[in-house]
Amino acid sequence: MDDVSSIIFESAQRLLSDLSERVSAGRPMADCERADGWRQIEEMGLPFALMSEAQGGLGLSDAEAFELVRICGRNVVPWPLVDTMLANRFATQGGAAPAEGPIDTLGELTAEQKERAALARAMQMAGALDVILVMTISHVQERSQFGRPLAKFQAVQHSLAVLAGEVAAGQAAAEHAVARLARGGAAATLAIGIARARIGEACSKAAAIAHQLHGAIGYAREHRLHLYTTSLWRWRDEYGTQTWWTRQVGREVLAAGPDAFWPAVTGA
Amino acid sequence: MSVLAFPPPVESEAAETLRAEVRAFLADANAARTPLERAESWNGFDREFSRALGRRGWLGMTWPKEYGGHERSAFERYVVVEETLAAGAPVAAHWIADRQSGPTLLRHGTEAQKRAILPRIAAGECVFCIGMSEPDAGSDLAATRARAERQGDGSWKVNGTKLWTTYGHEADYMILFCRTSGTPADRHEGTSQLLVDMRMTSGVTVRPIHDLMGQHHFNEVHFEDAVLPPDALLGTEGQGWAQVMGELAHERSGPERFLSSIQLLIELIGALRGSESLAAQAAVGRLFAHLVTLRRMSRGVAALLEAGDDPTTHAAIVKDLGATFEQELPDIARSLVDEEPDLRSTSDFAAVLAYTMMAAPAFSLRGGTREILRGIIARQLGLR
Ligand SMILES: Cc1cc2nc3c(=O)[nH]c(=O)nc-3n(C[C@H](O)[C@H](O)[C@H](O)COP(=O)(O)OP(=O)(O)OC[C@H]3O[C@@H](n4cnc5c(N)ncnc54)[C@H](O)[C@@H]3O)c2cc1C
Repeated sequence: MDDVSSIIFESAQRLLSDLSERVSAGRPMADCERADGWRQIEEMGLPFALMSEAQGGLGLSDAEAFELVRICGRNVVPWPLVDTMLANRFATQGGAAPAEGPIDTLGELTAEQKERAALARAMQMAGALDVILVMTISHVQERSQFGRPLAKFQAVQHSLAVLAGEVAAGQAAAEHAVARLARGGAAATLAIGIARARIGEACSKAAAIAHQLHGAIGYAREHRLHLYTTSLWRWRDEYGTQTWWTRQVGREVLAAGPDAFWPAVTGA
Repeated sequence: MSVLAFPPPVESEAAETLRAEVRAFLADANAARTPLERAESWNGFDREFSRALGRRGWLGMTWPKEYGGHERSAFERYVVVEETLAAGAPVAAHWIADRQSGPTLLRHGTEAQKRAILPRIAAGECVFCIGMSEPDAGSDLAATRARAERQGDGSWKVNGTKLWTTYGHEADYMILFCRTSGTPADRHEGTSQLLVDMRMTSGVTVRPIHDLMGQHHFNEVHFEDAVLPPDALLGTEGQGWAQVMGELAHERSGPERFLSSIQLLIELIGALRGSESLAAQAAVGRLFAHLVTLRRMSRGVAALLEAGDDPTTHAAIVKDLGATFEQELPDIARSLVDEEPDLRSTSDFAAVLAYTMMAAPAFSLRGGTREILRGIIARQLGLR
């Protein structure tokens, strides 16, 4: 990461977390607030961030681009920002102009475009998983029952340890696929399938534990937890469901047979 | 920025060149082992195999040359460890020494201890066992009762009982964790590590304990007025607790924590080969995704070790996830393949399934239980 990209990350994080805070979990944003928010996002150039520099993008490497996508996952906002970033990249690569406003359906995608979108979802999940881990740690430290913080109960500690393990594993799988993207072709496809299989499972387990440890308040619309858990439940099945991706991986492993198994693990 | 980020693994060309050499060696040296023997994984004991690894420079790889090591990176060592495990090679005659006893000696041993022992480990000629657990000190290791008392002439008199000592009956040495002053109520205070020559010390009795399959790998080791020479002390008197925690970090840090059941996965893929079943594809895809992810995380732990960082929490996460992954395997295999598990079956799948099913309970016990690991992770999260 060079200085320019870290400045981009910091300012994106600042703006998006500010906008995310304004999404009161229970109340829709007023129209003027909405328009103003998207204007700020555009001013920062975020919708065009994944385009090539020649087309007016930010000139990010793949690794940096997906880091930016992770930041988007950390801050749930009421616009399809990541989808717009992807749509503008695909459009300008095909010689078209970027879109005027937010875009929520990408239309027909080539296989390679679908893979990139699927990986973007994985990195969004990686970002959101961090948030629910942090939210849950704070909650169990702040909330007391039976005269002590929930964090002091061993059953609670162990649930959080499992949550942290799932988050770490999901993130590792997504990061692995970003690192493998440069290899292109079947290797990249396989790594994306692995990422989606693993992080999808992490989302299920992590969201369940986060809700359990938050108690009823986490199930209330006014609490922010559901902004993240419902996003995870959606993202894990978009641009190919978790099941679809998992089967792609399995089909390949089964076709290669037992002797090819370990070399496939070390080569993946 | 993440709460518990794993460093990315370091890709090294030297490591990949080495991988090809190790594979070629194993294809030959390990060819005669049946799938069931391979499934025994780290319980397979073969001194000749360990010597062969030593001759190739594949033990003590990261240690200084002056102690018989080869000054190679943690990533190169990782390749040898994972390749031997994935091949189901018999590693038991060297792996405790190579993984944890050697590094403990290197860190805390005297010059004489290091010169006497490390080159023998690196040559694959020296078997170590772990003297930690006792009848009343399992997870609660600080409750150790075994004690070594300093005699007038500086020697140590040891009394007490160690339990579950893997390959204690074959070992040349034990690293004994025990009390050197105070009482069990003093907990971490007053504990030390001592080097026990298992062949030359009188007053040490090793009794076999058979596991639920009837196999003998662990033991009870009883010390009755056993006398150790003055130079048996390993490291600093009274610092046993800090030292043993460092040793455990090494014990938990490797890929053996998710690779010990890989033979079952290989048999499962063989049994399902060509299957069009969607359930089979989904299950195998999921297992493969888990395995590749665990390996990435575990190589991240190797990167921590190479950088000299404390791998304790990251290693605990990999071991906990790895044990869960491995313990799920037998039931997943049973749900996909309609075959009765049977150790004596002529079907490799059935035999390996039976073995792994019966080995599985130990995965979340040995080297620190699931509950203890989760406590370590929770502490890192600031909950205790
Ligand atoms: C195959 C195998 C090989 C082994 N090899 C060796 C060896 O070579 N050398 C050696 O020293 N030891 C060895 N061990 C012993 C191993 O380290 C111990 O089994 C382990 O530390 C647990 O101790 P325990 O068996 O006494 O169980 P206990 O400590 O009695 O635990 C029983 C159960 O209670 C739980 N428990 C205990 N304390 C707590 C707590 N505070 N909170 C929540 N739950 C708790 C445990 O997690 C476990 O589920 C081996 C064990 C096995 C299975």
